[in-house]
Amino acid sequence: MLHEAQEVGSPKPPPRRREKPKVPTNDEQDMRKPQKMKTIFSLGLLTSAMALSVASTAFADPITVYTPQGEERAVWITEQALEAGHEIEVLSAGGGELFDRILAERANPQADIVFGLIDAAMATLKTEKLFEAHVPTWAEGLPAVYRDDADNMVYKFWQTPIVLAYNADALSADEAPTSWMDLIKPEFSGKYVIGPSAWQTTKSYLVGVLVRFADEDGNISDEGWDFMQALYDNAIIVDSGEAKTAAFVNGDATIDLNWFGGVGRQAESVGYNAVMVDTDGGTPFISEGVAIMKGTDQLDASKAFVDWFGSPTFMIAYAEQFGQTPVHPEAIAGSPETVQANAKLVSPQDIDWDAAAPEIDAWMQRIELEIK
Amino acid sequence: MTRLSFQKALFYTGIAIILWVAVSFIYAPIYSVLTQAFIDDTGFNFGAAGELAESNRVRRAIQNTLLVTVLSVITVNLVGIFQVAALEYISVKGRRFLKFAYAMPLIFVSVVAATGYNFAYGQTGVVTRAIQSVFPSLPNDWFSGPFAVVIAHTFLLTSFHYLFLRAAFRRVDYSVVEAARGLGASNLRAFRSVVLPLLLPTIFATSLLVAYKSLSSFAIPAVVGGRRFDMVAELILTLNSLRRADMAAMLSILLGVSVILCILVMQRIEKRGSYSGGSKTQVAIQRIPLSNPFTNALVHIVAYLIALLQLLPVALVVVYSFAPAKSIIAAVVPSSLTFKNYAAVLSGGDAFTPLKNSLLMGGAAVGMGLLVSLFVVILANRYRNKATTAIDLTFMLPWTLPLPFIAIGLIATFATPNWLVGNQTLLGSYWILPIGYAIVVIPLMIRFLRAAFYALDPYQLEAAQALGAPPLYRFLRITLPAVAPVIILVAGLNINMILSEYTMSAFLFNVNNKPLSIALFEGARSANPDQAAINLVYMTLIMAFSYFIISIADRYGLGRSTRR
Repeated sequence: MLHEAQEVGSPKPPPRRREKPKVPTNDEQDMRKPQKMKTIFSLGLLTSAMALSVASTAFADPITVYTPQGEERAVWITEQALEAGHEIEVLSAGGGELFDRILAERANPQADIVFGLIDAAMATLKTEKLFEAHVPTWAEGLPAVYRDDADNMVYKFWQTPIVLAYNADALSADEAPTSWMDLIKPEFSGKYVIGPSAWQTTKSYLVGVLVRFADEDGNISDEGWDFMQALYDNAIIVDSGEAKTAAFVNGDATIDLNWFGGVGRQAESVGYNAVMVDTDGGTPFISEGVAIMKGTDQLDASKAFVDWFGSPTFMIAYAEQFGQTPVHPEAIAGSPETVQANAKLVSPQDIDWDAAAPEIDAWMQRIELEIK
Repeated sequence: MTRLSFQKALFYTGIAIILWVAVSFIYAPIYSVLTQAFIDDTGFNFGAAGELAESNRVRRAIQNTLLVTVLSVITVNLVGIFQVAALEYISVKGRRFLKFAYAMPLIFVSVVAATGYNFAYGQTGVVTRAIQSVFPSLPNDWFSGPFAVVIAHTFLLTSFHYLFLRAAFRRVDYSVVEAARGLGASNLRAFRSVVLPLLLPTIFATSLLVAYKSLSSFAIPAVVGGRRFDMVAELILTLNSLRRADMAAMLSILLGVSVILCILVMQRIEKRGSYSGGSKTQVAIQRIPLSNPFTNALVHIVAYLIALLQLLPVALVVVYSFAPAKSIIAAVVPSSLTFKNYAAVLSGGDAFTPLKNSLLMGGAAVGMGLLVSLFVVILANRYRNKATTAIDLTFMLPWTLPLPFIAIGLIATFATPNWLVGNQTLLGSYWILPIGYAIVVIPLMIRFLRAAFYALDPYQLEAAQALGAPPLYRFLRITLPAVAPVIILVAGLNINMILSEYTMSAFLFNVNNKPLSIALFEGARSANPDQAAINLVYMTLIMAFSYFIISIADRYGLGRSTRR
């Protein structure tokens, strides 16, 4: 999911130590400085042993999966996978953090599979040539927009709107904003929270705002940047999920810019009733994909996991468990009615993520360095 | 083959390893920062400098950093010099209590101090709530921005004055003070015209240390600076996470150059030597009782006010760590006391993980650091030539560089497979953070170990050698017992430092090894009372450990020459 604050680190076992190296000797004697020889003896061995232990890494037998799915969702997926015969080990962290990590590890990938990163992130990782091609068994029947017919690498399985919601205990429907463009109005000053642009959720709606001001070549107009400045000037800016929650707890913030599932989760933890707005101009929808990492040593097992994970059967089970909306038509049809109804709560904004992906880094840089 | 020749071969292996460590983890990172800042695919490129200059946020951060540094140097000196006067020059009642309160900055450091200040004065802080119960109009975020950072620096960076200025003051010859007063000077005049000039070199040196600390301040502005307030160190991390390694490198070079300038100036002042005044037979300083009741009362009030401000956040943290989680973020006074929070941390659940990570990484870093430092010190102690001096200076280099610079260097060097470490990619691995910690602790270790080795009695070793004791035997029976206490203390001091180390941690940690300082930082903004309780326990444990280690170090006289 896109919830950034959750983090269930599954600490890896420390790298194994290798055997101490044999050290060459010679017969030459040196009587002048004999005293420190012994010290150096132990120092040399220990330092080299440590140096080697740094360099070794161990691969475990289960498939290593990187995903922003954390906590009970990660546990549930792991259990379901095991029942279906796939032994997986989940490493979960915030989406932005995982994305950075995968890029950092590109020379030495630790993951076999990555899923749950949003369109733009998966697109970037694909252009970095980090994925293996595999057409899942469930690709058939998937709408073209969720398939990867060009490279056969990234296939989408879920969709999530990034919604504008409000605390209905504090604001009436008349007082609430009806569009993302309303947020810069004086009455909403200090009423909504913008998180770090590294968060997938934040990044997605910021892009959703900016593309409204794009010309045919994808350049953002000055008006667009002025709007972005105003959007930041009017907001509570935080750099942690905890700080965001705190702004709602102390009553400063009443408008929540959040992914669909996160809206309800936050409202529940803080204790208010949230209402989502079907905004004028549409709501950005993002979809999450799955891909196999290039260089995996468990290619067959990984393929089998992907085939199982995206299958309508498991997607329906997940929808029943967590209310997440799948994208496969078969899976949607088999999902509980509430899930189907939720999918129609807000209307999508038309965003070409593939076109936007190469620009996003520069946009975020401008936001961070000149606007924030 | 004899044992000695075997050891000699090992000796050369050891040298090879030391050189490898120096090249891989000190020179390669520095080289990477420089190339990253100035060289791209097309050759020399200074584009990053232009982009930095154009960024509002970078300009603001540089302005903020300079402003905070200038103000901090002034305010820290005011408070620090007053403290030294109150402790050593004037007779103030309750000196032991004041000494204890003024020593707080020694154990209340870095991210612990920052989160502690946040707990007292932050948005939902205890003091904020207490003031609001009397003056409801006080805004929640009254304690933020440059004001808050300078205030925090003012009361947290006085440790150098406490340690060094006080020591310098004690060396002042009291007879010159007496002479001045005998000639009719008032207490204040004697202090200003006679004592202060004698202390000036030390005051300069401590001022520069304060400037050095303030320039690269990270945890304090990050926690109490509030919205839209950055200092340079934070911004380097931001640039790094924007994947603008070139701009991050450039900014860290700017920071590095300013810090090195500070150090150079400081060393010049140190080299100029201290003023020597007074007679050959020095008279120990005596504390003067103030005769004017008004000034006397004023001095007492100010002295106790400063003590209160330095004690308050620490006391609140310790007391509230025993409060039930619910009353931590709601009550002004805890309703009852409990050990439940400690049980939650120490029982080994999720709350224990960051503590465990920090202890393991701290242990590993101190282990690696000690091996390298011991070898370097033994080498430099045995052979005093240009090569060993060069090695010695190499390992002292990290002390002169700001931590963001070193961190950016490590990231740049090990983000891709590097032949220096067997074509491994260290970034994103568990080990990069302990390696970073080790580089940071080595300079301090070398300084203390060097002092310990100089203090060794050479006659004992010679006697042992004359009696036919082999080298290993001599090392184990004479050298090691003599320096072992220092080794243990240095290890303790550095693990203590690592527990609250924030800068290196923020740059290099990952999901596998999230350290205590990062957990503290993240927990500082938590609205969740359980998280707040856990944070307070972390802080109290770190401070207790610091107190323990520093008291022992103080008693043992670490760092002072123990030559007989």
